Amino acid sequence: MLKKQLIFTITFLVILLITIFSGRHSSSEVVAQQPAENKSKLVLVTSADYPPYEFRETATGNEIIGFDIDIAKYITKELGYQLEIKDTDFSGLIPALQSRRADFVMAGMTPTEERKKNVDFSDIYYEAKNTIVAKKGSNLIKPEDLTGKRVGVQLGTIQEKEAKKFKGITLVALNKTGELILEIKSNRIDAAILEDTIAKGFVASNPDLEFNTIPNTEAAGSAIAFPKGSPLVADFNRVLQQIKTSGELEKLVNKWFGNNGKTETSSTSTLSFAKIAPSIPYILEGILVTLRFTAISAFFGFIWGTILSLFKISTIKPLLWFATAYTSIFRGTPLLLQIALVYYATPQLTGYDISALAAGVITFTLNSGAYISETIRAGIGAVDKGQWEASLSLGVPYQPMMLDIILPQALKNILPALVNESIALLKDSALVSTIGVADLLRRAQIVGAEKYIYFEPLLFAGAIYYLMVMSLTWGGYALERRLQRSS
Amino acid sequence: MHSKEDSNVAVKVDRLYKSFGKLKVLQGISTEIKQGEVVAIIGPSGSGKSTFLRCMNLLEVPTSGKIYIDGVDITAPQTNIMRIRQNVGMVFQHFHLFPHMTVLKNVMYAPIKVKHLSQEEARREGLELLSKVGLAEKAEVYPSKLSGGQKQRVAIARSLAMKPEIMLFDEPTSALDPEMVKEVLEVMQDLTQTGITMAIVTHEMGFAREVADRILFLDQGRLAEEAPPEEFFAHPKSDRAIQFLEKML
Repeated sequence: MLKKQLIFTITFLVILLITIFSGRHSSSEVVAQQPAENKSKLVLVTSADYPPYEFRETATGNEIIGFDIDIAKYITKELGYQLEIKDTDFSGLIPALQSRRADFVMAGMTPTEERKKNVDFSDIYYEAKNTIVAKKGSNLIKPEDLTGKRVGVQLGTIQEKEAKKFKGITLVALNKTGELILEIKSNRIDAAILEDTIAKGFVASNPDLEFNTIPNTEAAGSAIAFPKGSPLVADFNRVLQQIKTSGELEKLVNKWFGNNGKTETSSTSTLSFAKIAPSIPYILEGILVTLRFTAISAFFGFIWGTILSLFKISTIKPLLWFATAYTSIFRGTPLLLQIALVYYATPQLTGYDISALAAGVITFTLNSGAYISETIRAGIGAVDKGQWEASLSLGVPYQPMMLDIILPQALKNILPALVNESIALLKDSALVSTIGVADLLRRAQIVGAEKYIYFEPLLFAGAIYYLMVMSLTWGGYALERRLQRSS
Repeated sequence: MHSKEDSNVAVKVDRLYKSFGKLKVLQGISTEIKQGEVVAIIGPSGSGKSTFLRCMNLLEVPTSGKIYIDGVDITAPQTNIMRIRQNVGMVFQHFHLFPHMTVLKNVMYAPIKVKHLSQEEARREGLELLSKVGLAEKAEVYPSKLSGGQKQRVAIARSLAMKPEIMLFDEPTSALDPEMVKEVLEVMQDLTQTGITMAIVTHEMGFAREVADRILFLDQGRLAEEAPPEEFFAHPKSDRAIQFLEKML
């Protein structure tokens, strides 16, 4: 009986792993390769929420475009490579290079001394200036004006480093530039330090804001980043030099930074959903990503949770210890941290480049398995002992007894709890936006970045999340009623 | 398979002890049940009747002692207890029907899963058994819609579906309303005519007297007395049995 218990659970585990790993190849996520000299494709990783450097044109499609992208296309074409573009959070760019997920990174990135310790840089291809963005009439013009003020910067940027030099300020580092603008508008911060090109766009869309260029600051030049020791640096520098002298670079600067013609002004007082209307189909596509992600994670999380719960009621002590320790760890640490660890640590530790979607699914499976196992364990405990005895006395072996007799009754008892867990999972799935999966939330953020507005896309996404949760809740009720009827 | 000198012995119990922690429930029971024999196990509550019965299919693992079913020592570690249990049916005080299956599915389940009968075979045999216990018309009903007496008759049919040679009954009528006791006892009485070996833990003295070939009287974990019912009820030997019968009759 012990042996059968063991075989049963191991079989389940193997099936689980096979399904996860065979499934990820069919997923739409692109997978980068180990950098090697003799390959024809280069992977560019960028953070597509930083117009005009890189952003998504969400009204017409899902393509990442921008100043950096044009340069990257030019260089890779010139060098005879194909280009593949992947998207992640800005703070995930250096890890992407370190984990060899990226061959190079272009994201308006400035070559600082700290960054140079971890990655190699090309020559600078564009120099921008830093500005102070604040509410009109706030009189925050020079760095000295900021003394005693709360000043926002984007986490991990050159502006953050710059702002640290200002005396007497309270620094607030956020993940996205759009968030900084919102914080200014809601008076949580007094000003933000942004690059002039970005600042121009935001101020054009938000007439209640103004920006002032910071004089005499270190040039915030942008350069291309490579993994340490990459052989590509020299080639890229050669082509950069070429486009500087040929005037090609100037053409691109004019195309993307010239008189910021693509942003239209809007009123400040009311929400302007009209502005995001063309991008709504793009956001809606995120529903499928979110639902698929939630469904796959819930399915595997449920199977894994069932296995763990069987461990917990097992008479084999090591299985019991494992399941208990496992649950304690996964319930005891933040999910956001687990996602980052799985996504960034897997390639560095194992050399296996896990896709963002697969990393998300695995993390959520492992995490929700821990929670579900407790629920199922309680559900199994609530099944009358007599059901076990009746099965045993009929000579029914362990596996069919669990699958046909015990678990169906346990699941019926815990159905409301399982619906709860699925709802939590659906909402928590928004966390995968941090590793660049284009789910509902990330798409809303991307649209916000493209249009220089933040509130409207988030409200829109929030409404969709709510509708999805409500459908799930009603579905759960309907299922419960059906099960009640059968007995 | 096992050629034993007493080939007509269905169950042999040899110095059976069972303790739950410090509580000594069974203290050295030895007896034999012959094939086709019907024994009634009676005694005051707490005397170990149910534990004794549950040891016979290892729902309780004996602390020491041996139990042979058809000559096979079921307490030996290498014995496949699941195989033995297929041959030893059990009926519980609280029925323990599977609530999420219809009556017919309850009866069909084990033959399909354990004996790998086809759906049609299991269905045919299941319906046959249900009509034997008088419940053919309830085949597609869920257990929650049945009365206690009906539930117990289904439970008996479910056990019989495995075609066991031995049936264990653990107070099968104790949880029933008085008016339902009779229908269950009638089914059991019919069963005694089929030649199946039966061990019945019961408080129904009239029934024990009528159907049993032998009475096992347990007291404080010991087999205080065993005798044919006419002898036991007319001339109980031990003081404990006399006291017990005075209270019961």
